[in-house]
Amino acid sequence: MKILVCVKHSFPTDRSVIIDPSGQWVLDCADGATPQLGRYDELAVEQALTIKDQNPGATVDAITAGSLNKSAILRRAMGMGADSGIHVLTSADVFTSAVRTASLLVSVVRLRSYDLILTGAMSDDLSQGLVGPMLAGKLDIPYITSCVRLNVDSKRSVVVAERDIEGGRRQIVELDLPALASIQACDKKPRYPSLSNIIRAQNQIIETIQAACIDESESGETLLGLTYTPKSGSVNFLTGTCGDKAKELASILRKRAFLR
Amino acid sequence: MNDRIAVIVEHESGRIAPATFEALQCAIEIRRITSSEIICLTVGEKVDELCADVSELSGMPAMGVVIPELHTYNGEAFLRAIIFAAGIVDAGWVCVAGTTQGLDLGPGLAARLGIPCVSAVERVYEKDSKPVFVKKLFNGKVTGEFCIGNHGVVISQPGCFTWEKISTPACRGVDKIRFEPGLLRTRVLGTSLAEPADSGLAEAAVIISAGRGIKRRENLELVSKVAGLFPNSSIAGSRPLCDDGWLPYRLQVGQTGALVAPELYVACGISGAQQHLVGMRGSKFVVAINSDPLAPIFNQADIGIVEDAESFLTDFLRLAMKSDDVAQP
Repeated sequence: MKILVCVKHSFPTDRSVIIDPSGQWVLDCADGATPQLGRYDELAVEQALTIKDQNPGATVDAITAGSLNKSAILRRAMGMGADSGIHVLTSADVFTSAVRTASLLVSVVRLRSYDLILTGAMSDDLSQGLVGPMLAGKLDIPYITSCVRLNVDSKRSVVVAERDIEGGRRQIVELDLPALASIQACDKKPRYPSLSNIIRAQNQIIETIQAACIDESESGETLLGLTYTPKSGSVNFLTGTCGDKAKELASILRKRAFLR
Repeated sequence: MNDRIAVIVEHESGRIAPATFEALQCAIEIRRITSSEIICLTVGEKVDELCADVSELSGMPAMGVVIPELHTYNGEAFLRAIIFAAGIVDAGWVCVAGTTQGLDLGPGLAARLGIPCVSAVERVYEKDSKPVFVKKLFNGKVTGEFCIGNHGVVISQPGCFTWEKISTPACRGVDKIRFEPGLLRTRVLGTSLAEPADSGLAEAAVIISAGRGIKRRENLELVSKVAGLFPNSSIAGSRPLCDDGWLPYRLQVGQTGALVAPELYVACGISGAQQHLVGMRGSKFVVAINSDPLAPIFNQADIGIVEDAESFLTDFLRLAMKSDDVAQP
């Protein structure tokens, strides 16, 4: 069984964002720091490795599209236990539409006949969740999004998976392989890279494919510009020390009869 | 002739999902710019009443795509049916609601139709005779404006488009086609409740809700103690906290969890991802505690407190329990 897991570097949600002077994208958060695996992508890697553990002979490849230093997240995935890494190298970190990313990935993936492709449910920066189902659409394979449970039945060549739907419910579906799943939750916590895997990953060559060599179809999506989201609403920020604020909040909540 | 705008009617148990009308409003705003016609597409086993209802309520023509024996949403069957219908009605635009179904269907549809897709759309405006789509990025901190030309799949962000009811409802005509999806590689086995929904959460007057910013699982006890100060209260949490197993999913507030509207909502260490905001937007009075002054939760809050949640809740608990201290401002 050949498994591919698509990963992207993370942009921590609590970090401040600085729009670059051109107004066309944000300053590369990874400058100077090691890029991190996205939160859901890390779950996707864990899910892939769990399947590998349960299916002797299975292999897990990790793929990313991005600039040079983003290979660090492939090393991380390999440190966790992925067998190899594929880096679709793009020139700079600019806005890339989901269609374009899916096109970049599909040109590489199509030739390699994976049985199962996993992605994170969404990235930490754009929170769109588009690339996974777009990749499946382009490959014309069945897919499941917001997947919270996944079991492979390799004898029957199917996966049985559950996806989150509204109202705290889950839809249970069976997909014929090859298939794609975007992972929202995994039964296990993402494993830490092991020393032996880290050493192996360091000595391994990451396959690098120049994005420029790939025939990209026009994505059709243009970013006109970015602005800082203006403060909306009429929030009243309490001031003073932590204790002052606690005191004031208690007073406000008493006046409104929430607190006795 | 301009390409039409197809609006996908979401439905369950014979009822139209309210989010459908948000997608429809988004379509109307695109129509103002492109002058395209709108058509409502309903896919399912029984579509007659749904089509008549949606046509009457919207004043738009409707088309039903009947798939025999399709009892529930099957992404693959829907995808094939909509591609088929989009060809018949000459649809260049497809509008879907940003529900779990819309987010499942939209991007796959765009890829198969070979058109772009823009999700989480909050607003549409005109520039050079083309629609520009406005959406938030980077957890709400940045707003981006996107152009996707003259066609695409547009996914409306829940709660952002207010349906303008028409004054004189009238059915504008309903067509029906039958579609055989062929051999499907996706089979729906059923639906389960992850955990029974917590009716306590829907009925609670006060919800003290925790996010990753509480940092340690042990701090949930602190959150519980704060909740204990208020009558008819409950604790709740954001999705990541439930994913980490700190709280059961029945206490999750958000798009796929509970939609709550308490008198008081206190968000402790919650940054305010769009999916969470959808779940608590109806709250009457919101207090947000977060160490990041730019956290989008503050845009939804009446009272903002820029502090570490653990330190603040510790202080607040101590003060609120000693009522004498607080009586004198």
